[in-house]
Amino acid sequence: MMAEGQEPQDPTAQVSEAQIAVHWREEENYPPPPAFVAQANAADPAIFDRFREEHFPECFTEYADLLTWDEPWRTVLDTSNPPFWKWFTGGRLNASYNCVDRHAASTPDKTAIIFVPELESDDPVHVTYSDLHRQVNEFAALLRDFCGLKTGDRVTLHMPMVAELPVTMLACARLGVIHSEVFGGFSGTACGHRIADSGSRILITMDGYYRAGSLTDHKVKADEALAAAREEGQEVDKVLVWRRHPGQYASATPMTEGRDFFVDDLLGNYRGQLVEPVSMPAEAPLFLMYTSGTTGRPKGCQHSTGGYLAYVTGTSRYYQDIHPDDVYWCMADIGWITGHSYIVYGPLALGTTTVIYEGVPNYPDGGRPWRIAEQLGVKIFHTSPTAIRMLRKVGPEEPKKYHYHFKHMTTVGEPIEPEVWRWYHSEVGKGEAAIVDTWWQTENGGFLCSTLPAVQPMKPGSCGPGVLGVYPVIYDEDGNEVPAGSGTAGNICIRNPWPGIFQTIWGQPERFVDTYYRKYNKNPDSKDWHDWPYFAGDGAVQAADGYFRILGRVDDVINVAGHRLGTKEIESAALTVPEVAEAAAVPVIDDIRGRVVEVYASLKPGFEASPEMEAKVSKAIETEIGKIARPKNVWIVPDMPKTRSGKIMRRVIASISNFADVGDVTTLANPEIVEDIRHHVQSAKVARDDVPRQLTEAEFEEIKKYGGE
Amino acid sequence: MTQQYLAGELSVLLERVQAVTTTDAARCQVCSLRHEAETEPVWALGWVTVRALALTEGLCWDSLCRGDTAAFTRQAAAGAALHEFGVCAGLLHDA
Repeated sequence: MMAEGQEPQDPTAQVSEAQIAVHWREEENYPPPPAFVAQANAADPAIFDRFREEHFPECFTEYADLLTWDEPWRTVLDTSNPPFWKWFTGGRLNASYNCVDRHAASTPDKTAIIFVPELESDDPVHVTYSDLHRQVNEFAALLRDFCGLKTGDRVTLHMPMVAELPVTMLACARLGVIHSEVFGGFSGTACGHRIADSGSRILITMDGYYRAGSLTDHKVKADEALAAAREEGQEVDKVLVWRRHPGQYASATPMTEGRDFFVDDLLGNYRGQLVEPVSMPAEAPLFLMYTSGTTGRPKGCQHSTGGYLAYVTGTSRYYQDIHPDDVYWCMADIGWITGHSYIVYGPLALGTTTVIYEGVPNYPDGGRPWRIAEQLGVKIFHTSPTAIRMLRKVGPEEPKKYHYHFKHMTTVGEPIEPEVWRWYHSEVGKGEAAIVDTWWQTENGGFLCSTLPAVQPMKPGSCGPGVLGVYPVIYDEDGNEVPAGSGTAGNICIRNPWPGIFQTIWGQPERFVDTYYRKYNKNPDSKDWHDWPYFAGDGAVQAADGYFRILGRVDDVINVAGHRLGTKEIESAALTVPEVAEAAAVPVIDDIRGRVVEVYASLKPGFEASPEMEAKVSKAIETEIGKIARPKNVWIVPDMPKTRSGKIMRRVIASISNFADVGDVTTLANPEIVEDIRHHVQSAKVARDDVPRQLTEAEFEEIKKYGGE
Repeated sequence: MTQQYLAGELSVLLERVQAVTTTDAARCQVCSLRHEAETEPVWALGWVTVRALALTEGLCWDSLCRGDTAAFTRQAAAGAALHEFGVCAGLLHDA
């Protein structure tokens, strides 16, 4: 119930960009450092002309020409079956050859991988391209002959950050076997679901690895994974276990005879063997990368060989500015797409030296990354805003103690606040490095938005324009283009296909089309790529200078009068009221504003609901976020409807606010609360003549799915 | 965004909390939270973190009441790491 004296909401209130969920002012530009420009791979603005839309898709042959092909492609982009784009069709190549063999032939003694163990007392291990060639070949022979793997089979890897991981990936690629790496920190159950979905009969894992100074038992997860896969009907024939310390077993979990095998025991049988790299069609799948954050069936993003490898190699060359003689360190985990693209495939295709660090960035202290950089002569550094914030928190003065010099740095994964960006620039980069703030997703293969570091100025908090050959656009909910500089947020989409785009969701082509293309497709029968913009699922604004600022996932925002409000921000704002225990923001259909926000809050013991309490919550949200976010109603409830695991069922309270059917509540931990809340909220709304009209089918579906349940 | 790694890091930290639980019920709850971290959308991770912190706080209080200082120390350290990550990842507001 609205508190007395509360101001009525003004639906015509103008809200500036700064009042949208991300409250940053327009920042000043930082030009590229002259020393960086002088040596950059792409310093001539003429490159933009080569990648203009009138040269699409042929412009991407510049990326493909960085690779060695067994057979040249006939068609750069095949659009005969949209949106299942095919790049470089007719071409044949092998990813392992491109990342290993051709460099082992020309620079065999050059370091390919520097493995940095987490224990600082252990020396880094340098793996030359010659070493890598031998190891990849031997392991490929083992996979082919001992495991019986052949082209097109899937293998699940559940491995930590060790040099054996890229060896395993490249051995798979050598045979045309599709690898599916699960982040090493994920549970065995998560791994098992992916084993089942991909139909893998081989699991490759490691006995243990170091994290925060301790040797963790990783093999235990293999047994959990196999059990989970079996529950879904997928049997695993063999488990290959790399040993962190060959000859020693780091796990308390026994090996299962006949099923589990130590790799170092088996490799002796394959010493010196060479496996001819299988010449693969450009469109052959190279790997699967599953995204989490999906209830129901896992979503395996299937990436191609030719298009993907060309794209990550090209973007590594131009946007990471990798030269063969650089030492490049991406601090991500290879279990995520950033690691696949920008630790393994991109850098190794360019013949550079890539660093793989086993442990956590702040072990044993906040100076560790900078000591590694100093010791190894790292020139290019790549990490996430979360890691940057953490390193800034634990050791803001640490970088200046060490004598490294980055020429280039990357930030990836989330928007970065300008103040954090400035610390990254001035302290970590010592004011010398060009920074690229990149935006992209697992589905994309490589960067979609970034500044070209030697040509375009950096702007803290913005990821820059679309990268070469990628043409982003912002659409509103009705498919109208939102112009640059309008100050209005919308859904960022990519108008055109690009070589790194994933091919499909493994085994779920309909879901692929529905999730990424249905929303803005103008004509399902059209073979014209213009009619198939890619829906990224992120909100964004575009400044007048063309730079994009990403606001986060659109499925966690409520669109109020064209302004995207993050539910997390709203709920967090409500939680700043000390009396509030829990808060949930839900959308309510509104004919004038489209959607309005209502907030449900439960109080801590000892506090009572009152109009003053409601006003306090409302005021907190308005103060934290802005007037546009002020909820239409605040409902103080005795408890929230929750699952047995304690998760708030937002769809239930959204349904109540919208006078829609609440659906099945029998599985709730507290189903009796639903009727209490419904009676309280709906009778109050009826008394105030605030009953929404009947929902359309689409609106009902939206409310029913709200909260992702 | 490529924010998948936030789910991964949260899963690892929840594994650490799971390792310092002292009852089967608490272990099950953490296991359930870890499953949510691995399967829920990124926007839901904040709420998972909040509940995990509340649970860890409860473990600490329980250990204190029992006088189990060793368990309390491990649980507090796990909770501190979880809180720090939550703040740095933008899943929690810094107090």
